[in-house]
Amino acid sequence: MENILEVNDLKVSFNTFAGEVQAVRGVNFHVKKGETLAIVGESGSGKSVTTQSIMRLIPMPPGEIKGGEILFEGTDLAQKSDKQMEKVRGKDIAMIFQDPMTSLNPTMKIGRQIMESMIKHRKIAKTDAKKRAIELLDLVGIPKPEQRVDQYPHEFSGGMRQRAMIAVALASDPKLLIADEPTTALDVTIQAQILELLKDIQKKTNTSIIFITHDLGVVANVADRVAVMYGGKIVETGSVDEVFYNPQHPYTWGLLASMPSLDAEEGELQAIPGSPPDLTNPPKGDAFAARNSYAMKVDFEMEPPMFKVSDTHYAATWLLHEDAPKVEPPAVVQKRIEHFKEKAGER
Amino acid sequence: MKKKLLLFSILLVFSVILAACGGDDDGGEEGTSDNSGDNGESTSDNGGESSAEQVFKANIASEPFSLNPSLANDATSSAVLLQTFEGLTRIGPEGEPQEAMASEIETSDDLKKYTFTIRDGAKWSNGDPVTAQDFEYAWKWALDPNNNSQYAYQLYYVKNAEAANTGEGNLEDVGVTAVDEKTLEVELENPTPYFLELTAFYTYFPVNSKIAKENEEWYADAGENYVSNGPFKMTEWSHNDSITLEPNEEYWDKEAVKLDRIEFAMINDFNTELNSFKQGEFDWAGSPFGSLPTEAIPSLKEDGSLNVEPIAGTYWYKFHTEKEPFNNVNIRKAFAYSIDRQGIVENITKAGQVPAMAAVPPTMFSDNEEGYFDAVNIEKAKEHLQKGIEELGYDSVEDMPAVTLSFNTSESHAKIAQAIQDMWKENLGVDVELSNSEWAVYIDQLHQGDYQIGRMGWLGDFNDPINFLELYKEKGGNNDTRWHSEEFASLLEESQTETDSEKRTEMLKEAEGILMDEMPIAPIYFYTNAWVQDENLKDVVMSGLGDVQLKWAHFE
Amino acid sequence: MLKYIGKRLLYMVLTLWVIVTVTFFLMRAAPGSPFSGEKELPPAIQANLEAYYGLDKSLFMQYVDYLISVVKWDFGPSLKYKGQSVNDLISEGFPVSFALGMEAIFLALALGVLLGAVAALRHNKWQDYTAMIIAVLGISVPSFIMASGLQYVLAIKWSVLPVARWESFAHTILPALALASTPMAFIARLTRSSMLEVIGNDYIKTAKSKGLNSTEITVRHTIRNAMMPVVSYMGPLISAILTGSFVIEKIFGIPGLGMHFVTSITNRDYSVIMGVTVFFSVLLLVSILLVDIAYSLIDPRIKLADKKGE
Repeated sequence: MENILEVNDLKVSFNTFAGEVQAVRGVNFHVKKGETLAIVGESGSGKSVTTQSIMRLIPMPPGEIKGGEILFEGTDLAQKSDKQMEKVRGKDIAMIFQDPMTSLNPTMKIGRQIMESMIKHRKIAKTDAKKRAIELLDLVGIPKPEQRVDQYPHEFSGGMRQRAMIAVALASDPKLLIADEPTTALDVTIQAQILELLKDIQKKTNTSIIFITHDLGVVANVADRVAVMYGGKIVETGSVDEVFYNPQHPYTWGLLASMPSLDAEEGELQAIPGSPPDLTNPPKGDAFAARNSYAMKVDFEMEPPMFKVSDTHYAATWLLHEDAPKVEPPAVVQKRIEHFKEKAGER
Repeated sequence: MKKKLLLFSILLVFSVILAACGGDDDGGEEGTSDNSGDNGESTSDNGGESSAEQVFKANIASEPFSLNPSLANDATSSAVLLQTFEGLTRIGPEGEPQEAMASEIETSDDLKKYTFTIRDGAKWSNGDPVTAQDFEYAWKWALDPNNNSQYAYQLYYVKNAEAANTGEGNLEDVGVTAVDEKTLEVELENPTPYFLELTAFYTYFPVNSKIAKENEEWYADAGENYVSNGPFKMTEWSHNDSITLEPNEEYWDKEAVKLDRIEFAMINDFNTELNSFKQGEFDWAGSPFGSLPTEAIPSLKEDGSLNVEPIAGTYWYKFHTEKEPFNNVNIRKAFAYSIDRQGIVENITKAGQVPAMAAVPPTMFSDNEEGYFDAVNIEKAKEHLQKGIEELGYDSVEDMPAVTLSFNTSESHAKIAQAIQDMWKENLGVDVELSNSEWAVYIDQLHQGDYQIGRMGWLGDFNDPINFLELYKEKGGNNDTRWHSEEFASLLEESQTETDSEKRTEMLKEAEGILMDEMPIAPIYFYTNAWVQDENLKDVVMSGLGDVQLKWAHFE
Repeated sequence: MLKYIGKRLLYMVLTLWVIVTVTFFLMRAAPGSPFSGEKELPPAIQANLEAYYGLDKSLFMQYVDYLISVVKWDFGPSLKYKGQSVNDLISEGFPVSFALGMEAIFLALALGVLLGAVAALRHNKWQDYTAMIIAVLGISVPSFIMASGLQYVLAIKWSVLPVARWESFAHTILPALALASTPMAFIARLTRSSMLEVIGNDYIKTAKSKGLNSTEITVRHTIRNAMMPVVSYMGPLISAILTGSFVIEKIFGIPGLGMHFVTSITNRDYSVIMGVTVFFSVLLLVSILLVDIAYSLIDPRIKLADKKGE
């Protein structure tokens, strides 16, 4: 399978009064056709900026792509003008945003919002577009779509709104769908439905999906591959199985440890102490070093490169250096891994 | 989006439609950029040739109170009526009454009875002949208390007129009778030497009695019911907007009328009036039709375009003579003598006014230009002040009760008042408060006696000194000062029956002397008309009263 | 919707009644009479005049009579202008004032929204600063100074437009501009800040992510949502236009209704005062109702009244 998207050494900064904020400091990943890549990280890790940069939605100024390439089906999107991007957005790449409440125009009918990109990119007649809009609403699981198509967003419930957003994104049959934390604002039951829906659509249309989330549970549910971001860089990437069963980066361990679990016996929740780095003045070495209980002196001096764990699994930690001490993931994490294996076995 | 676009385009279309019908179908004959572009003096573009356009455009500043001569009581209505109607007499270009509707005038020996013969060919603008009945009807209509004519008192010279008007007598007893179509007999209460001046005044004009009897509201609009007997007829009256006059073909003296049309606009803003004049949209700016903004006068004087003509009007301050401290004549004199009148006319009013040291304007008594006292005499003023203080029993100026100077709200009155307030402070050491109120409130205050010093002006209704002096004959009416002098009143009474005009003048002068000696009023300046006009406009007749007749006017 | 309008009409009538009552008693409380003149009127004539206009009855009776005449929409004769009825004055003056007002509103809206939108879209660039300077001028310069200024520059110095009167379309331009200047500035500022706020909203990002170009985004998404504050301003706008017209009409010699509003008070012309007050009040109340209805048309989230209640 070829890569539909390849991001090479992408660097994105914001020029603010406080100085240059290096939000994305050299990010590399790819997405294959028909697969779902999850990008995981905490707030401020650079996940949204990365994906919004792919679609060139970041206002420039104050944003700026300082370097790197964004190869979509071979062409570098970073080099395209805004006008050229208009042909890509909504047509080849579409985005689903986090808060369906604010991401839909409150004064425009849902049907029209769906039809907009259709009419713009595919130049079909209004009546046909409306028919298609109703089909889409049906596809995303909204009952009575013929009525709903003429309603306004405030007449939909939260979950339905997100479904409508998905319909908007799918309107022009995009090749790549970027879902930026689409379920964060929804409650758990709805969340599950939306995730099911996305998987379903992917099966039907073979769309590639980039799924941004901070919730590892969602990753397990939905993704084929996962990339973990921290401090504007990707620290570990691999297939879901690899990263969950064999995590290498201490940050990934921290994430896994902090997942709340109903079956866990520990009384307290595990948190990663400290806070994310100040990106106006990124640290010299490994950005995670300050919070890393396994940090070595070298972590503060030099940034670790990506070490290969397998053909598909890479992690950027000095612990993987041949000279580094052998470190096992903390007990908590190991218990989690056991837990996953059991769960997977049950299925 | 669709809705917004729709709304927008509706609004757009709407306002274009409205704007299109907002204009009249005149097609904008006024104010097109053709005759504009000159600043300063406006020259008629067609000057020099006798084929100049004979259209006179001026601004009368507001809607006239009424264009029924029996009801009119203001200068605006008068400005229009003087062109459209004509009385038994008309004040001619030399300032003397000349025969107008009357071709012959006979007076009895006792000067109490006048017989007017209506001239042949006197016609209303619809062809109806002007009859003596028209005069009788009009005068009696004005005197009828049910018609509420506020100027009816002008007719009181006619026998029994006052009684009829106040409801104490009958209209049939009023001394005006149409003996036949052509003969009008008038009986007066007293010999009134200026009666023929009065018959040129609009309250004495006739109305078409035939139409008026059938149509009570004939005077409310232009149209077939609005007929007049003067040099012009009113062809259009757009309320609060404009009035158009055209020559009356039925007028007996129509040969004398040169203008083809008169257009009066009603713009309330004097700066706009002057600016319109400068753009060539008006041929006249200023009195008596409109008014010149005071700030503009000095520059108009400089470039030589300003015209100034003294008129019969006096600006004075009234004293309440029954309240302290102005119940004392010396205090009154002190205040009157310490006003620097020359300073005021030069620096404040600036329109060529003349300092007034008398009550009657120089247009009537020419030696009133000198007057009865000095234009300003601070020494004398202080002397009188001292005397007055002593007489009133005070120790010094500071013990005098507080003094307030009242006037009706207006920038010009305020400026004058402030200047005089200053003068009194400097020259007499008296602190005077200023108080202004809106006209209707102010006039009530004056009549009620709720003032100490009050500003007023009086413009002559007809060209005789008694017009000014009789204001102070009685305690009531227009007096307001509560001053009364038996001697003064009887002199005026006697003058009414004095047939020798020289003797009469002496009596009136004596009376004025008493007035100036007792000083219930402090005259300040005599009014002038100030205006600018198209250079090529000729033969406009301005009477001593300040009104304008356009009968003979024309553009060269 | 009908029920809503019905309820509003009821409130309007109530409001109108309060306005009429307050105006009536305030007006009569002012000293001075409609017949004040330099010369005191003979008492017989004064009595006659008062009887003719019904001023001799008790104040309360006059008030009742007046209410009745308002209902009949017959405001009686003008006390000052003989032979003219108040209804005549209104029917002559109103179309003129209305045309002037509509033109001014149109200018204020069109230019104001345009200026504000340009400023918002070119935020912090020279277009923004220029537009906002114009706006500040418009707000701080009183309409009569603006009027005199426009008159001086355009009508006198450059002679492109007429100085005064109301004769043709060209005559309407300067007064409408002068009248529109302050509201236009307000609308520009409102539009700008509202658009800046809307531009920052997520759904604008969504619109962009669909591949729409900036014009499409601005026109279809930004402006409509940014219009709510402007629509809210329409109520005060209409009253500003109404009252501002008095001065403008005076300066430009326009025979509208505004002049009567002011001069009738100086004249103590009771019937005109009441007639014009009632008329303007009705106008204002209806405008506010229309604005509220417009609200609900523009923003579907606003419900005028409880519908079925979701």
